[in-house]
Amino acid sequence: MTAAAASDTAPLLPAARLRAALLADRAATLTQLYRRTFPAVERHVRRHGGTAADAQDVFQDALIVLYEKALAETLTLTATPGTFLVAVSRNLWRRELQRRGQHPTAELTEAHFDELPADESEAAPALAVLDYVQQLGEKCRSLLIGFYYHRQPLEQLAAAHQYGSVRSATVQKFKCLERLRSAVRAAWARTTDLLTA
Amino acid sequence: MRPELTRLQLIEQHLLGPATPADASAWQLQTLLDPDLAADAAAQQQLYAGLQLAGRQQLRQELQLIHRQLYGPGSAGWLRGAAAGLRSLFKRRFRR
Repeated sequence: MTAAAASDTAPLLPAARLRAALLADRAATLTQLYRRTFPAVERHVRRHGGTAADAQDVFQDALIVLYEKALAETLTLTATPGTFLVAVSRNLWRRELQRRGQHPTAELTEAHFDELPADESEAAPALAVLDYVQQLGEKCRSLLIGFYYHRQPLEQLAAAHQYGSVRSATVQKFKCLERLRSAVRAAWARTTDLLTA
Repeated sequence: MRPELTRLQLIEQHLLGPATPADASAWQLQTLLDPDLAADAAAQQQLYAGLQLAGRQQLRQELQLIHRQLYGPGSAGWLRGAAAGLRSLFKRRFRR
């Protein structure tokens, strides 16, 4: 179902409405959430020993949590998305303060939070793949990230990338995935050759 | 689709599709017939993990752009916000 179609079928639960809005217009929906909620988070972080930069980091981490959960349909909202964001941000900031208490010189930018779905410090193979994602052409990168991360429907991706049909967008997606796999495999083979030489 | 692409699709359905008992037993059978399948699935899972990281990185850049647009120097986000507030105040007063 497309985001537009989803928004036509009432009534949607708040999390489903948020998901539909994010799929339909990510930039506008995130900007609205940002504008409405960031000031409250910034006030809280500043009142509890943080800086404006700390507030920005914490709030963006919380928004990423909200975004990924909403798109994966694992989000349960009992109040507004803003309330969820403030609660997660406060929790993240409390943990960060505890962490800094243990490691007073550590910076927030090095922090990893349990709330983030995957701990990047344990994701070395995925980090290696990340380099090759960045080396893909713009069209392939956008198609793959759009489908696998932003979970955009293939209809939407086909229209955005001017593919004639969902079928040709699907074929193109797998061609791009194959290209990524070949790049990673070639790099892996080079590393193995170096280690065994 | 070429057989190579169909194979990627088959692995994708196993990794990302709904986990059903029927899929699990079909997959088990396929891994017996195709000894490379399990290793290829593990490699493909790493591609998805890398794409998640790339997506998150892109999202963070988008959020930083939004932040700059709303509050950054030169964007005068606060000024636009204040002007919008004043406009809505005037509109409400005018209606009365």
